[in-house]
Amino acid sequence: MESLLIRGGRIIDPASGLDATGDVLIVDGRIADIETGSTLDPPQAEVIDAEGCIVCPGLLDIHVHFRDPHQGQLHEETIGSGSASAVAGGFTTVACMPNTAPALDDPTWIGHVIQRGRERDLARIHAIGCGTIGRKGREIAPIGELVAAGAIGISDDGDGIEDDAMMRSVLEAVHEHDTCFMQHCQVPSMTRGAAMNAGPLATRLGLIGWPVEAEEAMIERDLTINADIGARYHAQHLSSGGSVDLIRAARSTGQPATGEASPHHLLLTEAACDGYDTSAKMNPPLRTESDIARLKEGIADGTISILATDHAPHPAHSKATDFASASFGIVGLECALPLYKQALIDDGVLDWPSMLAMMTTAPAALVGLDASGAGRLETGGIADITIIDPDLEWRIDPDAFRSKGRNCPFTGWSVQGRALATIVGGRLRHHIEGIEARLPGSLLQG
Amino acid sequence: MTTATWTSSGHLLGLEGLTRDDLLLLLDEAEACLPVLRGDMPARTDLAGRVVANLFLENSTRTRVSFSVAARRLGAQVVDLLGSSSSASKGESLVDTATNIAAMGVDGIVVRCGASGGAALVSEHVDVPVINAGDGRHEHPTQGLLDLMTLRQHFGGTLEGRTIAIVGDIASSRVARSNLWSLTAVGADVVLVGPESLLPADFGSFIPSGSGRGSVTISHDLDAVLDSVDAMMMLRIQFERHDGDGIPDDYRQRFGLDAARAARLGAGVPVLHPGPINRGLELSAEVADGPRSLVLRQVTNGVAVRMAVLAGLLASDG
Repeated sequence: MESLLIRGGRIIDPASGLDATGDVLIVDGRIADIETGSTLDPPQAEVIDAEGCIVCPGLLDIHVHFRDPHQGQLHEETIGSGSASAVAGGFTTVACMPNTAPALDDPTWIGHVIQRGRERDLARIHAIGCGTIGRKGREIAPIGELVAAGAIGISDDGDGIEDDAMMRSVLEAVHEHDTCFMQHCQVPSMTRGAAMNAGPLATRLGLIGWPVEAEEAMIERDLTINADIGARYHAQHLSSGGSVDLIRAARSTGQPATGEASPHHLLLTEAACDGYDTSAKMNPPLRTESDIARLKEGIADGTISILATDHAPHPAHSKATDFASASFGIVGLECALPLYKQALIDDGVLDWPSMLAMMTTAPAALVGLDASGAGRLETGGIADITIIDPDLEWRIDPDAFRSKGRNCPFTGWSVQGRALATIVGGRLRHHIEGIEARLPGSLLQG
Repeated sequence: MTTATWTSSGHLLGLEGLTRDDLLLLLDEAEACLPVLRGDMPARTDLAGRVVANLFLENSTRTRVSFSVAARRLGAQVVDLLGSSSSASKGESLVDTATNIAAMGVDGIVVRCGASGGAALVSEHVDVPVINAGDGRHEHPTQGLLDLMTLRQHFGGTLEGRTIAIVGDIASSRVARSNLWSLTAVGADVVLVGPESLLPADFGSFIPSGSGRGSVTISHDLDAVLDSVDAMMMLRIQFERHDGDGIPDDYRQRFGLDAARAARLGAGVPVLHPGPINRGLELSAEVADGPRSLVLRQVTNGVAVRMAVLAGLLASDG
């Protein structure tokens, strides 16, 4: 019987509303006891000192790209390096998007991703299945089979589903199989050649603009179609304030629609693209201060209930080119937590419990992992736990990332807050250097 | 006495950062080159023993030849690397091609490319001066300079308070962007004219106002501005940057400058065009070859401004 005691931390469990100082005892990979009235002192338990730290359910990121399978692609990430990156950032569970090569449109490939994740045995690796074959939008994917094979959601991420009738079919299948649909909200005909937010800056730089309408028009269409179907509909990585209004209105009619926000869309504006800085090239693009303010309003009122990084590693050479040719996206897992804190807690939008809910209970519920106990702390539940020092100050250095990706616009930022230790299934899967004094010697040797 | 600050970056990537004094100083240098071109003064030797590379990844004849003539008039040797013959067609990146040329020891690189920001990108990777000869839709600074020089000659002095119309495919035009920076910097007011599909409203707002800059206004009606402008700059419709959409079927009727429209311009109002001209579309042959046309003057001035730029960047480079 292996026992691990996390002593003296601020235990935050958004699911139960618990927010109190206390001890968490883990026995054989499960939470054996949570004690906030007095201290636990079980014999033979190894002790982690969590004083001054937050002890919360392991974080979930339902939107990452680990680039596996990767036939014909460079090894810009693997499930191994991605898993290491996840636990280094405090994430115990991630969902891999299906825009791989080949795309995850076949149950075999869903099984492959899950199997690779088990072999790497760091974070819990899940897969999202395609909505259409090859993500091409023409032929519906075998959604029931993908779900049966373990897919926890459906998406053509990287592309939106453009055809209206196809969108209806996919949403019906998603509803029938009790899963969720995650839309990459981008009308392709409005974004041909587009590289950054449409506006005076794009015009000055001579780059083709990406209008907010390209996002909003697809969301509006989707919500109209889904009004009758009632599938769990999730709009990924929102960039436009107008999108928030659309989702808010749909939610007010009872439609199960949710929104997602990423660190870069909450902290950076299109101004980061000036000087043709390709590290700031994103899909959807960085927008304006006004959009950031409206995204935060959506977070404050629950319209946007999920935080996700859209962790998107790229080889250096695909960013070291001209802006229009450069790849979209940034890596996010290892710096997301302090960036969310800066955008949302430091700015007074949320407190720690409400922010952690957006990284635990809400994403777990969307993808149906709440049934397995993911995203919450409860006696008898799986011991996926993240220990966070909310005050630790550090500098973001992509060269120190476990991810193979270095493409990050936050390089050199001084931030506050960091996952000190990440526990998956009761086992310490990551800890940062310098906290050895908090950890029992046996864990360090392991 | 003003001193040149435009050379401080070691490159000429655009006219965006250039001050009024920079621009006027460059024009003065260019004017001093004209007697050399006319044969009234001996050839210059500023760049004797230097090698200038023309890295042209987009089709261009006159700009490349103009740079070549300018470099040779300064005593430099010129090598051309063209899109179709260079490694670019084998998938080698712009940066790789440029760093290889730089490694061969050339003294300056003139870059023409289809990517906005391409010249700036090259400048970050080589340690010799880079001159932007047109990067995508972004800027074409020597074109902006030669247009400014031609207008200054025409008006016999300051452009302050003059109203210059730039007409046509503004959205695709690096020439329009460079001209917006330079014309407003010297105090000229610019009126941009074109159909909405080729002239987004954003063009009215990216040039900062104030600090002595001229104004920028937008019009979608050429006939409404004809009697209030001091010069007409007609742009080429860039079919290669459109998928067929964006160019209205009635473009010539609404925005083409033909003899009838030219007759409504004020006396002596000149017509410029960066070339090559789509004759009969944005500009009729009569006007292109008529008394208002400064097109050939622009071509001559182009060599002079490129001499001034090459001498300013490469001769001071040690």
